[in-house]
Amino acid sequence: MTDVGTTAVAEGTLKGGGGPPARAPSKALRSPWTALIAVAILLVAVFPVLSDDLYYQNMIILSMVFAIGAVGLNIITGYAGYVSLGQGAFIGLGAYTVGICVTDIGGSPWVWVPVAGLLSAAVAALLGVVAMRARGHAFVILTIAFLFLVQLLATNWDELTNGTGGITLPIPTWSVEYQYWPFYYALMGLLAVSLLASWWIRRNKFGMGLIAIREDEDKAATVGVSTPTYKILAFAASAVFVGMAGGVYGYYISFIDPLGMFNILLSVQIILSLLLGGRATLWGPVLGAFIIEWLNETSNNEFGGGNARLLIFGGLLALVVLFLPNGIIPTASAWIERWRTRGKAGLAGERLTGIDLRERAAPVPAAPSDSARPLLEVKGLAKSFGGVRAVEDASFAVPEGSITALIGPNGSGKTTVFNLIGGTMAPDAGEVWFEGRRIDRKPPWKRAHLGIGRTFQITRLFGDMTVLENVVAPLREFHLGLLGADAVSGREARRAEELLDFVGMRKYRDVRASALSYGQQKLLELAQILMLDPKLIMLDEPAGGINPTLIERIGETIRELNSRGKTFLIVEHNMPFVLGLCNPVLVLARGRTIASGSPDEVQNDPEVLDAYLGEDFRLEQPVGA
Amino acid sequence: MTEFLQALILGLLIGGVYALLASGLTLIFGVMNVINIAQGAFLILAAFVTWSLWRAIGLDPLAAIVVLTPLMFAFGWLLYNATIRPIRRAPPAASVLLTFGLALFLEGIMGVIWGNTSHSVRPGYFTESFQIGELFLPKAQVYGGLVAILVLTSLYLVLTRSWLGRAIRASAVNPQGAELVGVNVGSVAALTFAIGVASAGAGGAIASVLYPFLPGSHYQWIARLLGIIVLGGMGSLPGAVIGALCLGVAELMTVTYIGPEWATGVPYVFVFIVLLLRPQGLMGTRLRQDVATT
Repeated sequence: MTDVGTTAVAEGTLKGGGGPPARAPSKALRSPWTALIAVAILLVAVFPVLSDDLYYQNMIILSMVFAIGAVGLNIITGYAGYVSLGQGAFIGLGAYTVGICVTDIGGSPWVWVPVAGLLSAAVAALLGVVAMRARGHAFVILTIAFLFLVQLLATNWDELTNGTGGITLPIPTWSVEYQYWPFYYALMGLLAVSLLASWWIRRNKFGMGLIAIREDEDKAATVGVSTPTYKILAFAASAVFVGMAGGVYGYYISFIDPLGMFNILLSVQIILSLLLGGRATLWGPVLGAFIIEWLNETSNNEFGGGNARLLIFGGLLALVVLFLPNGIIPTASAWIERWRTRGKAGLAGERLTGIDLRERAAPVPAAPSDSARPLLEVKGLAKSFGGVRAVEDASFAVPEGSITALIGPNGSGKTTVFNLIGGTMAPDAGEVWFEGRRIDRKPPWKRAHLGIGRTFQITRLFGDMTVLENVVAPLREFHLGLLGADAVSGREARRAEELLDFVGMRKYRDVRASALSYGQQKLLELAQILMLDPKLIMLDEPAGGINPTLIERIGETIRELNSRGKTFLIVEHNMPFVLGLCNPVLVLARGRTIASGSPDEVQNDPEVLDAYLGEDFRLEQPVGA
Repeated sequence: MTEFLQALILGLLIGGVYALLASGLTLIFGVMNVINIAQGAFLILAAFVTWSLWRAIGLDPLAAIVVLTPLMFAFGWLLYNATIRPIRRAPPAASVLLTFGLALFLEGIMGVIWGNTSHSVRPGYFTESFQIGELFLPKAQVYGGLVAILVLTSLYLVLTRSWLGRAIRASAVNPQGAELVGVNVGSVAALTFAIGVASAGAGGAIASVLYPFLPGSHYQWIARLLGIIVLGGMGSLPGAVIGALCLGVAELMTVTYIGPEWATGVPYVFVFIVLLLRPQGLMGTRLRQDVATT
């Protein structure tokens, strides 16, 4: 949920605001939801005091265990997009930690609950290390293997776990009149903390990075999101509270064995709760967990459990995927939203003509430089795909403070050169130097931190995120404090709004990026990489596929940024645009640099004409004249 | 040495059965980018049907392949069109969750029909063995392995020699390209899924003799098959065969030298090691991903 109110106030202090910001669609819905949630929390909180019905107390306790599991799973599955079918393993891991520590070391089970959380987080982080290179399907398989592997260990490692015999925990020592209260309120506290963590992650830089990973992991890496670190942290965060809840759960049912604790149905219940309630929402997992646990109890009591549970869980899982893929809360919100905005016109585009950029807020401090030392140097770069040599011995330099163009016929290797400089691909041979540092072995996010920002030929935005979120997702440098920084309001958001203002997209801050036109997406992608405060901006066909006014506008923007010290490397097919804007111009053909020089020199170079047009072509009028 | 040789040969024979089952899974993945978590449940279903046929009319489980393969083919085709086809444009996670749901549902149905007790099919030759020198090779394993290799060979011939096979491989490599040259990728996907499920039919009939089974056994089987295709390289048919033989031998070696209780862990260890060291698997290739494919 974005907070329009506070930023609207902050906006008044800035120059040249691009009109009133769009209203966040959720704003008007907020109060009835908040009231509903508050009433629900209150009911759950006072229930054990008001009623001594142990059947429902038990049901709520179990619902809360699964709710904690689902809220945690939401961090990796809802935010980061990694589906885990083995999340239930952390319930078992937590329960076993408490069981083994109480048996072997002693003390109250409560003491060991935090240890259970830490151990679960550590194991999850290890899983994250294995998963570093596994995406999508491979990751799902990994989580299944993980669940079965820990179950096998718990079954066979007799000395530690007592095998299938299981571990019996001591009976609670408190008076019978308090029923299950300590379990109940301990779990309620844990659920509150995990919800708080989920809420915090959803609005800080870390969470933005996770959603960016879900939307486009490779692109996320190019805007400074160090994906392995993000994933490992996310796995640890997703497991810590469910591990603690597992410890409480083990104590609550007082008997821990491999079949019960690592039952795959625990995982099913967690993932089903998340899917049913709504992925990537705050309350969805909780709502889902309460519904599913109620169904679970019903199937156990009315239909004898066992096969009925399998039929209900399996059938429901298939039905949710087929007919309710977004879950209850997002679907309900969409309905209400549609009903509310019936018959209203969409957001109109801002007129792009006649805007003088110099009057706008300066997004970046000017760094004047008149030295012509190379900012970027490429030496003998080569890359093959199977038998195709896309780039072969490409060498060139980009002088600091220049607007350099990289042109060449289709298939000459321009985009591959970009990928090799940006780090999306590793070169077969050759070197890339940036500011006197060799960077061709560094991952994309490190290069982004050093000061290289790039856009893509076909824009790659994080489609499900809003315009503002797209701009706050990039990470300039890596340190933990910045990961925890608020992203949707406060300093980062203000900076992002200034950048949006600079490219004339401020009005759209709360619009989903996938709803933008292609030209708007290009502008947004530019604002996104400006968030990195890059020294070198690489644009892949900035003028491709957009209208002439916007092309002019982009040219102006480039010049303006250049005057503030940004160096550009631009791949473009629009010759008038390139020749009017860039100097020097580099020409790439068949993967090699065949010419470089001023626009005039290049367009009269016979080799260039030959590469573009074939040798029998006669130019009647100079290009771009 | 005898012990080692025995484990090796039995491992390869079992591996042949695994290869048949994993081929179906990897084929489905290759063509439609769907990890069919229900493949294990399909093969247990086939095993139960084989058991019922054997109990009712005394049909030999290996002969039951002739009945089960077309039966499971039809079942797979219907299931694809009813459940997976509607979500074929959804994100990949959807199909994993869907087939996982189907697996649980099938497990429940099998529990209702056949009960949650261990079953096994024991034809007349069940207790007999071939003796070669000091090696004892149970007849069930030898027959099972040979039949699996036979079925797998015919599957391979279909894929390499028939128009359908070429269409399937074309759809796997480049769906858009295949559509352009007149392949109806949607129908090919349905047929591929059906072939994959049919392979679980044949494999399940064979497996019913080799291992005792109950509805819940499908987890163990899907773990095995996933381990195989991760090792071999997801989507690669030769990879599935190599991965299956490796797993068969590794399991038998574990049983012989470490202890039978650890044998079920072999596929999980495969998954972890492969994803750490060589995520694309033995025969998998990394494709160029920078070119926009949307």
